[in-house]
Amino acid sequence: MNSYQDEHDYYDHPIDLKLWWRIIARARPYRAPLGGLAFAGMVVAVADVLLPWITAAVIDDAVTAGGERIWTYGSIYVALAFIMASMVWVFIVLAGITATGVAYDLRHAGFRRLQELSFSFYDKRPVGWLMARMTSDCARISGILPWALLDVVWGVFLLSGITAMMFWMNWRLALVVLAIVPPLSVVTVVYQRKLIRAQRSARRTNSKITAGFNEGIVGVRTTRALVREEENLKEFEVLTRQMSRYSRRSALHAAVYLPIVMTLGALGMGLALWRGGLLTGNVLGLGELVAFIQYAGLFHIPIQEMAQRFTNLQEAQASAERLQGLLDTEPEIDDSPEVRAALELQVRKPQAGRAIDGGQDSISEIHFDHVHFAYIKEEPVLTDVDFRVRAGESIALVGETGSGKSTIASLMCRFYEPTGGAIRIDGVDYRRRSLHWLQSNLGMVLQEPLLFSGTIRDNIRYSRLGAANDEVHAAAGHVGADAFITDLPDGYDTEVGEGGDRLSTGQKQFVSLARAVLADPQILVLDEATSSVDTETERRIQKGIEAVLEGRISLIIAHRLSTIRAADRILFIDRGRVIEEGNHAALLARQGAYAELYSRQFHRDAETTALGSVAQTRGTE
Amino acid sequence: MTSKYRLIWQLSEGERLRYGAAIAALVVASCFLYLVPLVSSIVLDGVLVGDPGAAPPFVLRAVEAVGGAEFLGANLWIAAATIVLLTALAGFFTYLRGRWSAEASERITRRVRERLYDQLQHLPCSFHDRAKTGDLIQRCTSDVDTLRGFLVSQVVEIGRASMMLVIPLPLMFAIDARMAGVSLVLILPIVGFSVTFFRRVRTRFLAVDEAEGRMSSTLQENLTGIRVVRAFVRQDYEIEKFAASNSEHRDLNYGLYRLMAGFWSASDVLCMAQIAIVVLAGGVRMALGSMGVGTFFFFLMVVNMFIWPLRMMGRILTELGKATVAIGRLNDILEHPREENPVEPVAPMPVETPGEIVFREVTFSHDSGGAALSNVSFRAPAGSTLALLGPSGSGKTTIVNLLLRFYDPDEGTIEIDGQDITLMDRKDVRERISSVMQEPFLFSKTLGDNIRLGRATAAHEEIAAAASTACVHNTIEGFDKGYETLVGERGVTLSGGQRQRVALARALLKEPVLLILDDALSAVDTGTEALILEALEKRRGRQTTIVIAHRLSTLMDADRILVLEGGRVVQQGNHIELVRKPGMYRRIWEIQNALEDELQRDIHVAAERVGQEGA
Repeated sequence: MNSYQDEHDYYDHPIDLKLWWRIIARARPYRAPLGGLAFAGMVVAVADVLLPWITAAVIDDAVTAGGERIWTYGSIYVALAFIMASMVWVFIVLAGITATGVAYDLRHAGFRRLQELSFSFYDKRPVGWLMARMTSDCARISGILPWALLDVVWGVFLLSGITAMMFWMNWRLALVVLAIVPPLSVVTVVYQRKLIRAQRSARRTNSKITAGFNEGIVGVRTTRALVREEENLKEFEVLTRQMSRYSRRSALHAAVYLPIVMTLGALGMGLALWRGGLLTGNVLGLGELVAFIQYAGLFHIPIQEMAQRFTNLQEAQASAERLQGLLDTEPEIDDSPEVRAALELQVRKPQAGRAIDGGQDSISEIHFDHVHFAYIKEEPVLTDVDFRVRAGESIALVGETGSGKSTIASLMCRFYEPTGGAIRIDGVDYRRRSLHWLQSNLGMVLQEPLLFSGTIRDNIRYSRLGAANDEVHAAAGHVGADAFITDLPDGYDTEVGEGGDRLSTGQKQFVSLARAVLADPQILVLDEATSSVDTETERRIQKGIEAVLEGRISLIIAHRLSTIRAADRILFIDRGRVIEEGNHAALLARQGAYAELYSRQFHRDAETTALGSVAQTRGTE
Repeated sequence: MTSKYRLIWQLSEGERLRYGAAIAALVVASCFLYLVPLVSSIVLDGVLVGDPGAAPPFVLRAVEAVGGAEFLGANLWIAAATIVLLTALAGFFTYLRGRWSAEASERITRRVRERLYDQLQHLPCSFHDRAKTGDLIQRCTSDVDTLRGFLVSQVVEIGRASMMLVIPLPLMFAIDARMAGVSLVLILPIVGFSVTFFRRVRTRFLAVDEAEGRMSSTLQENLTGIRVVRAFVRQDYEIEKFAASNSEHRDLNYGLYRLMAGFWSASDVLCMAQIAIVVLAGGVRMALGSMGVGTFFFFLMVVNMFIWPLRMMGRILTELGKATVAIGRLNDILEHPREENPVEPVAPMPVETPGEIVFREVTFSHDSGGAALSNVSFRAPAGSTLALLGPSGSGKTTIVNLLLRFYDPDEGTIEIDGQDITLMDRKDVRERISSVMQEPFLFSKTLGDNIRLGRATAAHEEIAAAASTACVHNTIEGFDKGYETLVGERGVTLSGGQRQRVALARALLKEPVLLILDDALSAVDTGTEALILEALEKRRGRQTTIVIAHRLSTLMDADRILVLEGGRVVQQGNHIELVRKPGMYRRIWEIQNALEDELQRDIHVAAERVGQEGA
């Protein structure tokens, strides 16, 4: 399920300069294109100011001088037109470079950060939410930057150019025409605010609509089985009605704003015609009057344009804030400065036979040294867990769902770190070793296997990218996955689909086992599947798992009896504590919690095994 | 192509009048707007210059009508006020246009959203099997937004651009036919250029969208599979993979910018050339005294008024290109045939029927090929329990899917109480079945509401009772908000076993004729499972039950057990019968017994050892 959290109410906030400064800092590599962009905007503004002046000159020349310099003005006009057009080309291309470049950089930085962030970060944020940050937020921010700059430069130059020209031609008339600026500004501010508010509501409803579609699609079979189509639609219609209302409201604000601005513009033109008309003949040329009228009509355009950008900027601010938040999040689990120094040292002066962090490369013992853990303070998930695993040993974690088995596995993988106590690798706290080193020596097989789109071969090879085809096939053969793979029409080149969903659960498990074997890790963490596959397949997977476990330090969240019995040691976890520890026989003899679980589980498992054995004997018949 | 427009036409049903009114308002507004430069032109030629030779005759008549050049010259404010008034009127109609077109298009958009939602709920399962969720969501959100943009602004803009060109034509030709001709010289090239460009650029937009889609799915896969990425330390590999799709998107997008840059600058040149032609021709004629300053001003303003929107035609048309693509993509969903119902479904049976299930020589294969079921026949008498046993891919879930009419059999018939279900309304079939799947879906509602989905009218006590039978009542009560606890990302995250139990409660509340448990307790722990089975045992006979499980103990009490293999029924009978006959089932049973002995031995041995250690 994806989720779409409500957007926060950033819209009422003033523009947060500090935040934008940090975003702009990310555009630093694009200084040159942005500079060029500003220059182009300026040139265009100047040309925009000059064009009415040329027409004025043409008129005055025609009326008073019989048009003797008309071709001169004509040439200037054409030259200006070409300069303008080429500037337009320049600024769009430069805006393109900046917008697409900044989008790329933001996404790249965001993705990089996402690869480093700890799982506690992922626990709190659904995939859909992260997707929105990386796609639409990045697009919005990168899209607004060049255009905001361009419009501000262009608008400011155009407004001051027009003002200057008007003052130069006749300052009294200029003052009269400029009387429209204060009301224009007030109206603009008032309506942009209203618009932003209406849009905010619309946007919020929009994310609910997206969530509604998502649920409708993902849950379609359930909906049908429950014959809920009509009720669902009714619930959905509440949202669409709301959305429609908010959208209409914001359209209405825009529909009111535009006529007011138009009328104010006309007021400027009227004033120019009236007061300017009185001046013609003595202080003001006819051409100049025409230019005045044109300037008065032009005034509101840059103001409108800049207001629009300002609105965009305010909208984008929410995006910027969230994205910056993501980029600023520090991974909670990362190499310490000492470890980083050791890593660098090993690069500079490699010591043979040592791990990348200069430590011992082979692992002979892992010690959970009185480990405590809590995701949320005061809600302990693990309390005083203490055990050791030596090379070649396997430990089965047994207990009810929610007892803390998976948390122990996550701590082993250093997806989380203990909140109390320590996990030691050959006596060294693993926080003093490189995270990369630990994780590259660690294989993991998950209960719900996750595959990536691509071929089966790609997926197996994911654990060791350099592996040759033979090695991939050998790994698959080792866990018994080759049988089903070679049965497929495309064999190893079968596309597994999005998330591997073209394969069955059992097939996915085989692929993930082969993937784990190919990596050949020293430590293996196995989250054993419950009976999500049929017995025959389960039997084969069981054999695959045995093949994977051989000769490694393994930690198994066990569900199958055969796995549990085969384990060197069993930890019985209850509510975050190890309440029984020992091998199968010892624990059974104790006739405690384990023995009870075992006999219950035995029945369940016996049948599984039975069906599997039958299928197997049939196979050999 | 035509079906796309048919779709738009269909969807605009009931809003066309409003759209028409919006367009009428647009025409009126444009008319008023063009009168504004005319007023200035009259003042310039008729009053300020006072050169009757250069002014068109109607200007002089207009000036006379208002009170003569001298009066008007002394009261120029009248002209100014007229300009403001005309613009205000134009503004008023612009407002109406904006309001009406927004109302019409928002209603249409709403209709599209609702249609899509409804359609998605009714498309055949084979459609959903093939479609990717992300892609469907994309269509329902961003494609709908594109369509909305098209309706809200493009349609109106195209109308505006053409009206802005058409409306002043008579006026222009009336004032000065030669000047009017000069003002229109480059119009065709400008429009032609726009249209050609639009045609060329369409595929580029599509390519960018597709690249964006690829980028998103790379991202999504990475985020969902982040544990695997970490487990194999593939961060760098993933960063590279993402960088590849990221830069592909960037490059294609940049290519689009370059194209647009070329278009805008070239069209700017054309437009400004048109204005230059007007300015130069006007200058020459003013110098010759054959045209007044006012007339020149009028033409200059009018050309400026229609040429920019006309140039925008290019952009609008590219937007239109996007909209066409989006509409096409929406159309794929909307035009896809829905789950078919029989043309004349048999009259709905009473909800409470006994619930006898019969499969007669049913054969079914998925679209992907390969028989999922071949020639399967069985009968489950009303109130009985039927168990399905067999390896994965043997066809157990296919039987469930056929019963729920997610698919229909290729051959053979399935009957509920003697009625061929393919002749029934699908809803009628589904209403009498409750199913719990291995990975059940819960809606983002409260736990109570989720269970209530089984039967909307259920009282709280009934919900609690169903939850108790499913052994989830205590779990729910354990949450701070109890039954009011929200499920999903804004609420609690339930474990697989908890979800299965909630789904079971939902299914039981429905009081179905047929209850299907498709590996429905696989994630429930053993102790709880035993309790649930015991509770279900008490309900025996209230409904026909089909159980799929991998464990014999869940199945052995069934009235009838079907052993499936490769889509065929290889054995059937009850436990006693099957154990007596040689075959797969008996062997399973024997092995299980052998293992049972082993357990006893195990415990015995362990106990002895403890005894020895104690001694």
